[in-house]
Order: sequence, then C-alpha cells, then structure tokens
Amino acid sequence: MYNNEINALIIIFFVAIGTYGLRISGLLLSSKIANEGKIRIFLDYLPPTLLLSFVTPAILKEGMSGIIAMFLIALCMYKTKNIFASMIIGVVTIAISRNF
Amino acid sequence: MTIDNTALNNFIRGIKANTPIGLSVFAYGAVLGMICSQKGVEIYHLTLMNVFIFAGTSQFIIVDMWDDLSQIFPIVLAALLINLRYFLIGASLNSLFKNSTIKEKIIYMHLVADENWAVTIERNKHEIITPLFLFGGGVCLFSIWSFGTYTGYLFAGFISDPSLYALDFAFIAIFTALCFNLYQNKTNLIPWTFAAVIAYICEYLFGGNLYIVLGAISGSLVGVLLEKKKYVQQ
Repeated sequence: MYNNEINALIIIFFVAIGTYGLRISGLLLSSKIANEGKIRIFLDYLPPTLLLSFVTPAILKEGMSGIIAMFLIALCMYKTKNIFASMIIGVVTIAISRNF
Repeated sequence: MTIDNTALNNFIRGIKANTPIGLSVFAYGAVLGMICSQKGVEIYHLTLMNVFIFAGTSQFIIVDMWDDLSQIFPIVLAALLINLRYFLIGASLNSLFKNSTIKEKIIYMHLVADENWAVTIERNKHEIITPLFLFGGGVCLFSIWSFGTYTGYLFAGFISDPSLYALDFAFIAIFTALCFNLYQNKTNLIPWTFAAVIAYICEYLFGGNLYIVLGAISGSLVGVLLEKKKYVQQ
C-alpha cells in the first residue's frame, strides 16, 4: 500500500509537469519562430481543425441524430449567433434520441 | 463606443463567457468524481490532479489505470499522449499573447483547457481581448470542474446515468457551434473536411485520443498547401 501511495504521487507529478510543459512550450516555440508565411497559415488553421477533429467522431458515433444535431446547431448559430442556445438545441436533440 | 479593456473587465468577461460550457464541465467532473470514489482514489489525490494537471480526459485515463499503480511509465505516457494537443493549443494562442511578458505567459498558460481555449479563440475574432479573458475562463472552469468532481465523489451513490440527459454531448455541441463561427470563406472547406475525415478514420483505426492531434495537423497542412498555391498563382 505504501508503494502504491508513492507511485500515485510520482504519476501525478510527471503528468502535471508534462502537461504544463506541453501547454507552455507550444506557446513559447510558436512565438520564437517567424510568424509569417506558411507558419502563420498553419497556426491560423489550428483552432478550427482541432475543434473539428474533436467533434467529428463524437457526432458520427451518435448516428443520424448526431448529424441532425449538428445541422440544428449550425442553423441556430447562423440565425442567432447564440452559443448557449445552440448548445441547448444540440443537447436536447441527443437527449430525445437516447431516451426514445 | 469604447470597449473597456481593463484587466478586471477582461477577467470577468472570461468568467461570464465560460459559464454556459460550465454545465458540461460540471457533469464531466461529476462522472470523474464517481469513478474516483469507486476506484478508491483518495480525495487529496483528486485534488492534486485537479490543481496540478487540470486536464479532464487525462485524469480519466489515470483513474482508469489506478488498479495497477506499479505501471508508472505506461500511465504517464498514455496521459501525456492525450494531452499532446495542448502543444498545438499553446501554439495557436501565439497572437493573443503577442504583447505579454514571459511571466504572464507562464502564469496564464496553466489554466488553459479545451473549453476556455475554444471560447477565447472564437471571441478573439470579433472583439479585442487580452490573455486575462482566457485566464478568467480558466479560473471559472477550474472552480466548476473541482466542484463537479467533489460532488460526484461525495454523492457517487445517488447520481443516475448522466448520459441519459446527454450532458456529455454539451461540450461537443458548444465546440461545434464555436467552430462554425470560425468559418471565413470557401478556402476553409477543403482543409476542414480533411481534418474531420482524418480524425474520424484515425479514431476508428487506433481509438485512443491521438486522432485529435492527427486530424488538426493534417487539416492545417492541407490549408498551408492550398494557400501557398494561391500565392503562386497570384
């Protein structure tokens, strides 16, 4: 049990250091390299492509209701620009399809 | 109208802007708390992870592998692979931090999570904000996340299946909405589609969480190739 305690703390320590290291090194490196041309385009594309990579498998896993939810979210965003309303629409669509 | 861009104002706007997404962060945290209490994770372990790691999915991985803590290297590696995207997230925050000192960067970056990053990037397209907006969001999420994990931990026996209420889908819905708001013009379509398809295929083939990084890198590279071609044609 004593060993487990030490191991738990070692694991938490290294994951904490490593995660912070990833966060800060990404920022520091990107400000070191020339922020123009190809690098600039690459960095500009990162936010939407990260978000899309995040959501696509999760949406498709829900099947048809996931795709419907995505369209409703897009429509709501286009009409209202309201993120909270779009979230509610997405969640309600999925909740309905999971319960019935 | 002049926008009040003081430090406090940015901090508070960051808190407000991240409150809606807090609903799903709370639910996600509660699930982690429940699993922690089932797995015999002590509440101070949970607290150490919340404070010093502050990255939900990797905390899930650690707790999931808690049964055999002698496997130090595999557990650390799995958790860090999932957090690899934070390197790209950090890189994408370059323009927000362009007027910041190194000290500010070091302090504010710790509380960067997927949620406040996404909210900040989207807001930065339409309004003038400072890194304190991001940090305010981080403080907001940290409070809600911690509260969620403790609630789950203490009331593990009482909470029924949260997936029935689709609360796990809340952050997917918000990320989808934020992504649509980042759309600029038709040039975006091919790189975006590429990212989505690669992410889906990688998730299908390899599982895990590496698909997020692979999708983003390949989509962004396609973006670079396409826009470079445009320069050449001009």
